[in-house]
Amino acid sequence: MISLTSLSGARRIDTVLVANRGEIALRVMRTARAMGLRTVAVHTAADKDAPHVRAADDSAEVSSYLAIEEIAEAAHHRGAQLVHPGYGFLSERAAFAREIEGTEPLALVGPSSGVMEAMGKKDAARDIAVAAGVPVVPSYDLDVDPGDFAYPVLVKAAAGGGGKGMRIVRSRTEYDAALAAARREALGAFGDDTILVEKYVERGRHIEVQVLADHHGNVVHLFERDCSTQRRHQKVLEEAPAPTVTDAQRELVTSSAVALCREVGYANAGTVEFLLDSDTGEVYFLEMNTRLQVEHPVTEEVVRVRGERIDLVELQLRVAAGQPLGFTQADVTLEGHAVEARIYAEDPYHGFLPQAGTAELVRWPAEPFGDPARRDGRVRVDAALESGQVVSSSFDPMLGKVIAWGEDREAAREALVDALDRTAVLGLTTNTGFVRELAAGAAFRDATIDTAWLDRAEIPAPDAEVALLTAAWVDAVLHSPRFSDRPGDPFATDGWRVAGEPARTLVALETPEGRRELRVDVPGHRVDDVFVQEHRLADHRAELSLDGRRETAYVNATARKVEVAHRGQRYGFERPDAFADHGPAAGDGTLVAPMPGTVLDVLVTPGQRVDEGETLGAMEAMKMELALTAPFAGTVTEVNVAAGEQVPLGAVLLVVEAEASDG
Amino acid sequence: MTDATTDPGTTPAGSPADAPTMRDLVATVPMRDLVADLRERLAVVRRGGSEAARAKHTGRGKLLVRDRVDRLLDPGSPFLELSPMAAYGMYGRDADDVNAVPSASIVTGIGRVNGRECVVIANDATVKGGTYYPMTVKKHLRAQTVAADNNLPCIALVDSGGAFLPMQDDVFPDREHFGRIFFNQANLSARGVPQIAAVMGSCTAGGAYVPAMSDETVIVKEQGTIFLGGPPLVKAATGEVVSAEDLGGGDVHARTSGVVDHLAEDDAHALAIVRSIVDTLPATSGYPQPGRRIEPGPVEDPHEPPESLYDVVPTDTRTPYDVREVIRRIVDGSRMHEFKKLYGETLVTCFAKIHGYDVGIIANNGILFSESALKGAHFIELCNQRGIPLVFLQNITGFMVGREYENRGIARDGAKLVTAVACSVVPKFTVVIGGSFGAGNYGMCGRAYDPRFLWMWPNARISVMGGEQAASVLATVRTDLETPAQVEAFKAPIREQYETQGSPYYSTARLWDDGVIDPADTRRVLGMGLAVAANAPVPDPSYGIFRM
Repeated sequence: MISLTSLSGARRIDTVLVANRGEIALRVMRTARAMGLRTVAVHTAADKDAPHVRAADDSAEVSSYLAIEEIAEAAHHRGAQLVHPGYGFLSERAAFAREIEGTEPLALVGPSSGVMEAMGKKDAARDIAVAAGVPVVPSYDLDVDPGDFAYPVLVKAAAGGGGKGMRIVRSRTEYDAALAAARREALGAFGDDTILVEKYVERGRHIEVQVLADHHGNVVHLFERDCSTQRRHQKVLEEAPAPTVTDAQRELVTSSAVALCREVGYANAGTVEFLLDSDTGEVYFLEMNTRLQVEHPVTEEVVRVRGERIDLVELQLRVAAGQPLGFTQADVTLEGHAVEARIYAEDPYHGFLPQAGTAELVRWPAEPFGDPARRDGRVRVDAALESGQVVSSSFDPMLGKVIAWGEDREAAREALVDALDRTAVLGLTTNTGFVRELAAGAAFRDATIDTAWLDRAEIPAPDAEVALLTAAWVDAVLHSPRFSDRPGDPFATDGWRVAGEPARTLVALETPEGRRELRVDVPGHRVDDVFVQEHRLADHRAELSLDGRRETAYVNATARKVEVAHRGQRYGFERPDAFADHGPAAGDGTLVAPMPGTVLDVLVTPGQRVDEGETLGAMEAMKMELALTAPFAGTVTEVNVAAGEQVPLGAVLLVVEAEASDG
Repeated sequence: MTDATTDPGTTPAGSPADAPTMRDLVATVPMRDLVADLRERLAVVRRGGSEAARAKHTGRGKLLVRDRVDRLLDPGSPFLELSPMAAYGMYGRDADDVNAVPSASIVTGIGRVNGRECVVIANDATVKGGTYYPMTVKKHLRAQTVAADNNLPCIALVDSGGAFLPMQDDVFPDREHFGRIFFNQANLSARGVPQIAAVMGSCTAGGAYVPAMSDETVIVKEQGTIFLGGPPLVKAATGEVVSAEDLGGGDVHARTSGVVDHLAEDDAHALAIVRSIVDTLPATSGYPQPGRRIEPGPVEDPHEPPESLYDVVPTDTRTPYDVREVIRRIVDGSRMHEFKKLYGETLVTCFAKIHGYDVGIIANNGILFSESALKGAHFIELCNQRGIPLVFLQNITGFMVGREYENRGIARDGAKLVTAVACSVVPKFTVVIGGSFGAGNYGMCGRAYDPRFLWMWPNARISVMGGEQAASVLATVRTDLETPAQVEAFKAPIREQYETQGSPYYSTARLWDDGVIDPADTRRVLGMGLAVAANAPVPDPSYGIFRM
């Protein structure tokens, strides 16, 4: 590897501070280290043992990943010449860029604060695009009578991003309220309530162009990506190259992106986003992201410069160090197709609620950030999540990315599905199973997904049966003599009976549909009536054939539960807990005085509806105040006491009748 | 050595008078067929009560007794069931009605709960409502003895209507009758051996004391009832009309009477609670007792598969065989350290290991002579001094008789062996692998000598003497038998009686043993027995007077 220092001319560069966490911090550090650079991590107190801190040569604690001054100061103190902001956090904060600008030898890996500022505001960016001859979405002047707009229109915050402050308005009647709401949201989120109104494209594909520019006037594009599979503007599946663009469309978006960069004097890596109207084939500029994108790996996987793979982070660092790109557009070619799936800590089958917890077991289909040359197959993983790691809800819920390459799109897609089948996160729920189903589904296969598709589509929850059978089999085998820590134990757990058939192993597990009891006959290779062939069972990975169908699953069996990841989906089967609250039976709602004493207060009247645990009154006895609480939700049917009343032990104070349960 | 040792059936001069003729010993059925027959009989017994009774039972949401046991035990735990064929051939309408009271309406045995050996005592309500026949009582008491000998927690799964009233005189009043169950519970608890009960059905009259006398109890909601007198008795006695649930249901006992400590939703939940209770027990049961601990070492399989035992024992038992072939198939690495190999050769004594436990094995290889008896007594003393458990492999027709032997004092030497066996303090295990006749039964640690466990092979025979000898002895004291035909007519039913009563199934029905086992399981059950025995320390030995 050629050292950055030797090529950097006047500037001596040996240290880079990574102003980020998680997988992108590791991604940057991997390249920096390969280039012979020292790495400095920043971290909050809670992150002091995080993977990116362990991966760095040096680290500095900061109060927040958004603490501009602290991070800049850390960079100076730790002797860094470059600050890589990754994505998110400070990556597009012009204020951060400004903080660093002029504090040589320190430099930001990214464009100037001025460019960031211009591109960060949608109205300014739009003006620049127009000036550069880049097609933009037809917009409406806010001063024009909204009755003249061609609905639907999109109302959005000029400073926005990520869908915040964005509203689709389908008719004049909705407009005023939507505008007011968007302003409020924009002001709250970005401190700027400037609003744009544009034509709304009903069905469009998200096409974005990777650009790269140096400080010597060289600008190239690295072709486009398609990120149409989104949920509420959050990208889920990304691919390169775009599967549906025509040569003319490709030429239009790539040349537009380069023109925009030239127009604004862009430097470093950036992404120019376009909306491709599926109905008209028109392409419109959306915005420019002045940083490395989450989905940059798909570009790295398919782009070749003079036939060689590229490393976007390396190119970023070289540009930031003042080096010229060293290649021209003519050197850039495509090879094959790549698809990326983002793994989020969220539960797609329960309203995409963010998930937090300990990732008790993590299996990636390839070593994260493994050397591409030594990579197993066609799968790349960029992730910072490892077994035992605590996932908190205080940061972005993205845990990592699984990227697959193939000679063509179908090969890449199949490789991705296979890779996601070999991805397991146990301990908390992720969207792995969901993206696996998406990637395997016909809509993605046929590239018919538009950016709003996922918000309309109902993806059915996968069937838990294979996971349940696997859980039962593995649990029984783990209890069998094969895994005994007492070899030769006469009480070996083979279910032996006096001159009789061995007892089957009963595995009882709680499922969302209720308790399931499965009988496992280990020597007879059966779970209930399903014939089980075990091909491999080691290191939490089970390869079984169930009635001849071969399945792979990842299993973690503990005293409390058995968790299984099958086709990426996590299933947690709790073992029945003898002392779990079985709930008081209806009719047990009589509150009696536990001691002789005085009623202090009665807060309810007959007929009143109460929630479980609600305080119904209080009494004092033996110098203790005792809250009388509802044993379950229901209706108060009797109130036999009043405040101040003396009651003997066992006196019936109140009666609550349970609500009719739905069984 | 005389011919008698190789073929006692030829009755040469000096043959033992109480030795059966070979007629009694001939088993021409191959061992494999005997084992298949055993498994078949056990499979029928294990079904429990009639199909109708079982359907009614499960229809109420209750689990069958062996399903309850399976769920109580750890996943995959073996269950060393005790005397599953108790009451077999008893209490029936006629001789063919052998399964009138399968397993004597109670399942007992040892299995692991949360990794520790426990005694399980579970009523089978599908068999005569789980009522106590004489053999039921005997079986319940036997299980308690096992718990007492080995410091094992007792788990009672109660579902019983109490004493079987038509046989109250054989169930209720005596020392070893129903009341003894509660006496034992109190005294086991007093020694620190936990008593746990789950009431999963009726628990009436005396039976009510099973939970009431327990340390910690569970009841199944709307299934379990506990009362000294059921609703019919209450009505008869006081005129009060009350439902079983209001009289002594789960809610009453869990919330009002305090007779039980945990209220369970159903059978499965009750068993889960019991498992949780066991989990709260200290690692070892029983208050500290002085003595030596038995500890296992590494385990090695025998060199021959266990099923090869079927072929070691000749189909025709008149064919002599070397008992060492049996030993080799049950001990670790098929290795034995034989003691006094050249002396008293009709008794084989050796040190070996079974499932990693040191054992001293005493096995018959012919009739007992003075030398064999002395050798056995010596060996037992060694094992007691060293704290090594004893395994007796019984195949004995008796002690040698005849003037020469009597005059030389074989009774004195036999007494030494019996004294040594009787006073032995190490755990003893007896397997009857052939005949068990006369005083040989005593010297080889028969049931009366308190082996921790006694099992029989399906080819075993047991009686005070052979049927022919018994018939002859009885015929000679009769003066009215004149013709050979009359003698034969007198002797035939006696022979027939001995034939019937010598069967292992007659024995096991009456709890003269802890069960008939598949010979291939011999090593396994001995290993389990040793593991069970290791829960109790071995006290220091002392003996009665050895007549010198």
